Amino acid sequence: MPDAATPDIAPLAVTAADLHLPTQPFSAAGLHLELVPAQARYSLRARDAGLLAATIGRALPDRIGDTLDGVIKLGPDEWLALLPAGATLPLGEGLPVSVVDVSARAVGFTITGPGAAALIATGCPLDVERMAPGRATRTLFETVEIVLWRQSETAFRVDCWRSFAPWLWAALVAGAQG
Amino acid sequence: MLLIHCPYCAEARPEVEFAYGGQAHIARPLDPSALSDADWEQYLYIRNNPRGRHHERWRHAHGCGRFFNAVRDTVTDKFEVTYPAGEAAR
Amino acid sequence: MSGYRLPTGGRVDRAKSVSFSFDGQSYTGLAGDNLASALVANGVTLFGRSFKYHRPRGILGMGSEEPNALVTVDRGPGRTTPNLRAPSVPLHSGLVASSQNRFPSLKFDLGAVNDKLGAFFPAGFYNKTFMWPRSAWEKLYEPAIRQMAGLGDSPTSRDPDHYASTYAHCEVLVVGAGPAGIEAALAAAQSGDRVILVDEQEEIGGGALADPAQWAWLTDARAQLLALSNVQLLERTTAIAHLHQNFVVAVQRLTDHVAPAQAQGAREKLWRIRAARVVLAQGAIERPLVFDGNDVPGVMLASAGRSLALRFGVAPGHAVAVMATHDSGWHDALALAKAGVHIVAIIDVRDDVSSDLLDAAGAAGIAVHLNHAVIGVGGRHAVKSVTIAAAGSSAARTLSCDCLLMAGGWTPTVHLWSHAKGSLRWDADWAAYLPDSIDDNVIAVGGGAGAWNYGSGVAVSNLPSPKPVHQQKAFVDFQNDVKARDIRLAVQEGFRSIEHIKRYTTNGMATDQGKTSNINGLQIASEVLSKPVTAVGLTTFRPPYTPQTFGALMGHHKDALFQPLRRTVIDDWAVANGAVFENVAQWRRARYFPQGSETMDQAVARECLAVRERVGMFDASTLGKIEVVGPDAAEFLNRMYTNPWKSLEPGRCRYGLLLREDGFIVDDGVSARLAPDRFHLTTTTGGAARVLGMMEDYLQTEWSDLDVWLTSTTEQYAVIAVQGPLARAVIAPLVAGIDLSHEAFPHMAVREGTICGVPTRLFRVSFTGELGFEVNVAAEHGLAVWQAIHEAGQAHGIVPYGTETMHVLRAEKGYIIVGQDTDGTLTPDDAGLGWAVGKKKPDFVGKRSLARPDIVGAGRKQLVGLLTKDPQVVLEEGAQIVADPAQPVPMTMLGHVTSSYHSATLGRSIALAMLVDGRAKLGETIYVPMPGGTIAAEVTGMVFLDPKGSRLDA
Repeated sequence: MPDAATPDIAPLAVTAADLHLPTQPFSAAGLHLELVPAQARYSLRARDAGLLAATIGRALPDRIGDTLDGVIKLGPDEWLALLPAGATLPLGEGLPVSVVDVSARAVGFTITGPGAAALIATGCPLDVERMAPGRATRTLFETVEIVLWRQSETAFRVDCWRSFAPWLWAALVAGAQG
Repeated sequence: MLLIHCPYCAEARPEVEFAYGGQAHIARPLDPSALSDADWEQYLYIRNNPRGRHHERWRHAHGCGRFFNAVRDTVTDKFEVTYPAGEAAR
Repeated sequence: MSGYRLPTGGRVDRAKSVSFSFDGQSYTGLAGDNLASALVANGVTLFGRSFKYHRPRGILGMGSEEPNALVTVDRGPGRTTPNLRAPSVPLHSGLVASSQNRFPSLKFDLGAVNDKLGAFFPAGFYNKTFMWPRSAWEKLYEPAIRQMAGLGDSPTSRDPDHYASTYAHCEVLVVGAGPAGIEAALAAAQSGDRVILVDEQEEIGGGALADPAQWAWLTDARAQLLALSNVQLLERTTAIAHLHQNFVVAVQRLTDHVAPAQAQGAREKLWRIRAARVVLAQGAIERPLVFDGNDVPGVMLASAGRSLALRFGVAPGHAVAVMATHDSGWHDALALAKAGVHIVAIIDVRDDVSSDLLDAAGAAGIAVHLNHAVIGVGGRHAVKSVTIAAAGSSAARTLSCDCLLMAGGWTPTVHLWSHAKGSLRWDADWAAYLPDSIDDNVIAVGGGAGAWNYGSGVAVSNLPSPKPVHQQKAFVDFQNDVKARDIRLAVQEGFRSIEHIKRYTTNGMATDQGKTSNINGLQIASEVLSKPVTAVGLTTFRPPYTPQTFGALMGHHKDALFQPLRRTVIDDWAVANGAVFENVAQWRRARYFPQGSETMDQAVARECLAVRERVGMFDASTLGKIEVVGPDAAEFLNRMYTNPWKSLEPGRCRYGLLLREDGFIVDDGVSARLAPDRFHLTTTTGGAARVLGMMEDYLQTEWSDLDVWLTSTTEQYAVIAVQGPLARAVIAPLVAGIDLSHEAFPHMAVREGTICGVPTRLFRVSFTGELGFEVNVAAEHGLAVWQAIHEAGQAHGIVPYGTETMHVLRAEKGYIIVGQDTDGTLTPDDAGLGWAVGKKKPDFVGKRSLARPDIVGAGRKQLVGLLTKDPQVVLEEGAQIVADPAQPVPMTMLGHVTSSYHSATLGRSIALAMLVDGRAKLGETIYVPMPGGTIAAEVTGMVFLDPKGSRLDA
């Protein structure tokens, strides 16, 4: 058990406010950050994409990084479905598929404006400028794993796990402020 | 920071998205209990440390999530080729 | 001394004067000056004291190669930056700078006694002298040496600035915006490709800045670059590292060139640039000459004199002598003369200088001394004269002057080329290494590639002198005070490799990384070894090209953005209820909830008793969670974990122990089978990512035939542990759809239903030894459910408890914490968990290793309990255990204490420990020697409370 002689490690300069996810959008020159309202998220896995599509009753994108009706293909056997809040998918019991509700796992942001790509590039090592609209991928923003989806020339969507969201929001705001 | 071609994503991606996984093409014995202590030691601990071509495992941990194999030159750090796990050594 | 500002010339704005201070004295410079040019203009030529001998030093160069003129710039509290090179400090109104490494003042420095004792400070002096006793290093030698030999002082208060960073991608990156770099960027831009041009100076132009004939072109070229939308021009930006596959790191200085009050935004920005092609146009650095007195203030590179006069309109001296071994010195002398600087003489070691140069010197009225060399410099704080002699002659003559320019030839800047693992070739004409071949898509252009006509010259290691070398104060490395004789001594003492000579003499090891000293040192070593330079080798260039602030390297990662601090959805409630937190991995977790003035021990004791007697609640949300789904889920877990999983029925839980293939425990956790093809796994908080990665590894690469998939659900669920004899009574009114009775819902079972109206996966599990439940709900409902349970629990005396209390409760029961009670060398049997190993299973990860001879043999450390003889003494975690406290040091250590607490329930201390052959020592007394005395304890079993587990079945 630590005793009084144990020196304290200097606490990080983190205030309570730093740990909260602002609910108000943030706007700077040419940039707008906003939280995505709660929605349903499903992690979908299967060797046989056809079986998975039939199980959940939705078409799936073919190529890694492509998106189709809110479903992103993240890996050879992995998709992430971003659906309206409350939507549920059949679990496919007994079938060689995995359908897992991860609605509460992540928080989403939208980043819009002419400076959106440059803002994401402050912490994302991909050539974001050259990412085609409609493409999405799992990647990193500094040390935090994100799912990055370019929805148009000037609009991106970023999802990260819930507990990383305050940090990511603050890092994006810091990046927007230079 | 290296650029690594992910054979699944079919594009070169930044090294920070990847995790190194040690020497490649060391299959776990199908029946470990049948192995002598010496053979098990070989599987468990003995690895190559070549100067030059090295077969190694990487995982696109913050991308598609898949493990794959690579041939990398340990002198130049350059990747010669990457290929999906399960394929024969290049 | 009167000032040196020339009446005309230079790129400074003579209409804008700028006031600044140096060592407390006020001066005035001009807009466009840097600190060095402004001080020289004011007649200041003494800039600092040297590192070892405290010799007076002025400026040597006017670029980033400057080794001498290191200054500290003070921009207010927390904003002092030491060790800046004066020529690289842009002047702004109110700049406050000071010299370094002097006491009490720059002019009168007590440390200069070292210079008089110089004969006693040879190469390797520190290594040879301060050898023994070892302890004196820390207490005596190092502090004293640091006081005497030093650079500037580090700032001691918090840096209030913030720093930015970004990634950038381009098809062509050009490093260096001299004429070659600018031309390369303009050419590359034609294709429409993305081009980034970085340049470290205040304005682009490189060598052209000191050549008025090129200014019109430069103005036009800069305008062209700025007009191109596909070109990003980064001024005040130093490319510091050229890493794999054209990943170039650069630091852009954003605010240091303006007064603090005008500074807005980030101070510096880190650019992480990935380029398809890199064009290195770093130019070349002029080489000093090695002769007695070559470091007296006023002796400088000819290129520095040229830059002072032609770029800044400042004469390097009123009477300037030029010592050349290279044509470029003649060109500089002529240019200076044309600018109105009085050139006393050109001295050249060569006797065959081109007639064009001789004619031009004659026309300018400059005296010429061919086949001569400077053999001495008069003056200590400033040059008063130079003594010259013809080669091989001792007949000397003295020339009166206040400045001596050295033109020793040029060293192409190949630092970044070398970072990128490009090979170099020795070029005899340049007497320098030039870029040769490289794997990546990189080309070198301009002076840095040897493709620049500076004229011809000869390479000399030392200037010829009638004085023996060991009597000369002829400096090679100005910043580290390495003399020519030190390098000779190193070779005489047996050092042969340039890498060893470098480390022994410290030549090239200062913050300038030998920009002006490497080649001279190499040539001296080559000469003494009688080996060609190429056989002596070349030291390695390493990033960063110039020293940088930690802030620039950290970018946004400071203060709140230092790293993510993860918190659970219940964290707000914990804050509001006075929790004291601890960090566990990246999470912060409530450690205990003190009431009033309670200490931690008091709060933990109260929380423990409440759980044992009534009920407590605990936020377990940080536990790692993995959903394992697919027809082969049970088969997969059976292969991963030590115990059998295929027989586990849906609705039941099992403790899982995970080994590495070497047989050692890596993680554990209780997992539930929700359906034949669906499991809910838990892992330790810190092990969540590791376990998922390990399982993915086996699944993808060893057992890819299995139809099962893993999904992290750590953050999907908030987890609330409700523990204690009244746990059922607390949650019963809130739960629907689940029969909570012991018969219907036994220990180690899982049920799905609702709590507070929201879906829950309810586990009946216990990490306390009490009746307990773990409520899993979607994270968004976690706080509301927590509050509802807390409210419902009021009637039952519920208390929230934290991780410290959790640790005590589980230790009373002998439940281990992986990573605290294990250290990566414990097998299940070592940890007392042999029961968790499926003896009949043919295989699981790590099984084969459990049969290794070392694992089954005697003498292994095993986890046991310890009870101190004095029940109130709490052992120190980590304390070492011995059998015989009387044994002389070093004692035979048998293990260490892994967990230790005061147990309020038992009214005494308890501990867990790793102990050699521990289970064979039950009942024996062991000893824990501590600074305050030796503590005796009895070896016991690990379970201190309710060994039969009857409390679980309440």
